[in-house]
Amino acid sequence: MFMRIVTIGLVSTLTLGVGLALLTTSCGEKKKGGDAMSGILDQDSSKNTGPAMSDEVIGDILQSIPQPLEISVALKESGKKYNSGYLNSPDNTSKYNSNYKRAVNLGVYGTDLGYTNIYEQNQDGVKYMASIKELADGLNIGQFFDIETIGRLATNSKNLDSLLLITTQNFNSINAYLQKQSRSNLSVLFLTGGWLEALHITCEVSATNPENKELREIIGEQKIILENIILLLSFYKDTDPNMASLLTDMEGLKAAYDKVKITYTYKESTFEVVDGVMVIKDNSTSTIDITAEDIANIKTLTTGIRNKIIS
Amino acid sequence: MKKIILFVLSVCILSTLDVIGQCNAEELSNQCIPKLAAGFNFLKSYKIEKGGKEFVEYSYVFTKGTQYMINICAAAQPTDGIVVSLFDSNRNKVATSKVNGQFIQAIAYPCNTTGIYYIQYTFDGSTNYCGGSALGFKR
Repeated sequence: MFMRIVTIGLVSTLTLGVGLALLTTSCGEKKKGGDAMSGILDQDSSKNTGPAMSDEVIGDILQSIPQPLEISVALKESGKKYNSGYLNSPDNTSKYNSNYKRAVNLGVYGTDLGYTNIYEQNQDGVKYMASIKELADGLNIGQFFDIETIGRLATNSKNLDSLLLITTQNFNSINAYLQKQSRSNLSVLFLTGGWLEALHITCEVSATNPENKELREIIGEQKIILENIILLLSFYKDTDPNMASLLTDMEGLKAAYDKVKITYTYKESTFEVVDGVMVIKDNSTSTIDITAEDIANIKTLTTGIRNKIIS
Repeated sequence: MKKIILFVLSVCILSTLDVIGQCNAEELSNQCIPKLAAGFNFLKSYKIEKGGKEFVEYSYVFTKGTQYMINICAAAQPTDGIVVSLFDSNRNKVATSKVNGQFIQAIAYPCNTTGIYYIQYTFDGSTNYCGGSALGFKR
């Protein structure tokens, strides 16, 4: 049987793929104005003075980033109990007076809402929904949240599927809208905040179960996502000082992740058709080498960046 | 005068035909969401509309230990010749929805290897070149 072993090193295949995309699309690059000085003046991420890449490419990368909800489901399925202490307080919205803070914490709260939903903690979920609505209104995207419907769904645990569906659709609609409005910078911040919060929660849970291999692997495989978040932030580093600063922090986190090794072993998949669905048997495998020291470093750095964001 | 009326009528008819022929990929992708099998949580919906390229492609990072489902919805049953294929990060084909000449409407992929995957839609005898798709997951 044909077998191939590929070690994913410092640069993941995804980043290579995106790199190729950058090369192939550079001819159609949309530079939406903004010289160095106008970038410096844009202190608040309120206006997108123009990333160094087309909205189309940015949209493609954004689209590929997994939803934090997947991590929340993994935590619950592995038997870990709900802990509201891991989350950002929903009462912190008054601290978020800039569009940068609103966008990045909209992502944080989005992850927190998904976490409360998965654990059917409806009382907490309603508080996060109110905070999300407040931040979204501040960014002129509040129209995507029908808080009455969501609040009604949240009162009954039988509505969990509908609640998850409607909140996921809302966030997808926001991202699509922001990209159409050439405000992808807010989508990038929103995604970064959401991802960081999910990583923070996973690190906290892992600290209480250091021997749990599944949690260690979830933390390790975030290396792939981080490389793409860094790529997205890098498009704005010359035009948005806040995003440039966040990029520097994320690069520090990447240095810790550079020690994590992901090894991929390809083996041809097989399939069978069951009840009209083609069910694939994935015969490939991947292993993630991550030490306790790596996890401790990642946790410390994640906490530091998160504290800057939510304070 | 007759020529003018004929011209106006022709324009109206052609415009109507154009509207009829328009692809509402968004509507089709929305129709796909509730068709995900029970237990799958919705993640993304994708529009399938033939543009300049021979295929439509999206990417998504799949996670080890998670099962994903991708389905196809089209105006003509079952998939109007739309085929979804899944490629791993090294562009190895890991799944395709056309087998033995049969078009399957959904594929389920229990992922063993975390990484970027390319979800590619192609057209094989399609009449409308228009469809929608939804991606869901479960642990």
